[in-house]
Amino acid sequence: MADKSKLGMEFPAYTFTVEKDKIIEFAIAVSQKENKEQINPIYYDEEAAKKAGYQGIPVPPTFPTCTFFWTGGGLVALTKTLGIDINKLLHREEEYEYFGSISAGDVITRKMKVIDVLKKGNGNKSVEVTVLETDLINQRGELVLKSRTRLLER
Amino acid sequence: MAVNYDDIEVGNKMPVYTSAPITRTHLVRYAGASGDFNPLHHDETFIKMIGSKNVIAHGMLIMGIVGEAITSWIENKYLRRFNTRFLSMTEPADLDDMENTKDRATIIVSGEVVKKYEENGEKRILCDIIAQDALGSKKLSGFFIAALP
Repeated sequence: MADKSKLGMEFPAYTFTVEKDKIIEFAIAVSQKENKEQINPIYYDEEAAKKAGYQGIPVPPTFPTCTFFWTGGGLVALTKTLGIDINKLLHREEEYEYFGSISAGDVITRKMKVIDVLKKGNGNKSVEVTVLETDLINQRGELVLKSRTRLLER
Repeated sequence: MAVNYDDIEVGNKMPVYTSAPITRTHLVRYAGASGDFNPLHHDETFIKMIGSKNVIAHGMLIMGIVGEAITSWIENKYLRRFNTRFLSMTEPADLDDMENTKDRATIIVSGEVVKKYEENGEKRILCDIIAQDALGSKKLSGFFIAALP
């Protein structure tokens, strides 16, 4: 069961470099391609990205969610920390607010906290809801992205 | 081709985007790219253990496909907000029965501009989006906001 005492809990800050090859791998995965020559050049060619008006090679819109899995021991450990049974875990909602760009080579610090823990519905049909808020801050101290993740436990 | 604010009217439709039928290989590739190794998405023995029938696609792969659909129309750099609610699970196509399983694994993304407005000194559009499979089952609904030149 989602643990109400976790409300307000902040996860340890995590700093990582946005790797160029991870961007390519991710862009191939979400466009269901086989190799980089088949994807949008802005995701592998810095010149093409700059010509298209980006500061560097940008990340695809949903790439920031990877930070959730790259830290804190991954999904299994994170759900354990949150008191959620992974066998009953459902991802209900995801939202991103883009304040600035994230480019290959940026050094991003992720701050994540639990902003809501609630119960919805009654009796057998009730579900536990955990809402996480994540801030991504770049090497210049700029908040570049905020995301909210709503997890359900069936 | 670049989309400009003045070219867009409320009620305009986003170009419909149709994914390739999602296979288990797509799921494994997404798992590796994203780091989401929930066995629900690749391990048939885990699926049996929890009494389910099939592995299911990552919700975030479907949202990633929707992101690809959006940025095929509106450039990535113009996105200001992107929200989706996941509505149902997606089973991948079976390679030994593509004919009967490809439709459940094909994601069709559509959208409609519902608002044009100015905010933070930017000209913005709000566009509702829906992703469904080729059988008509809704996978997610949501919206995006973009600031256009």
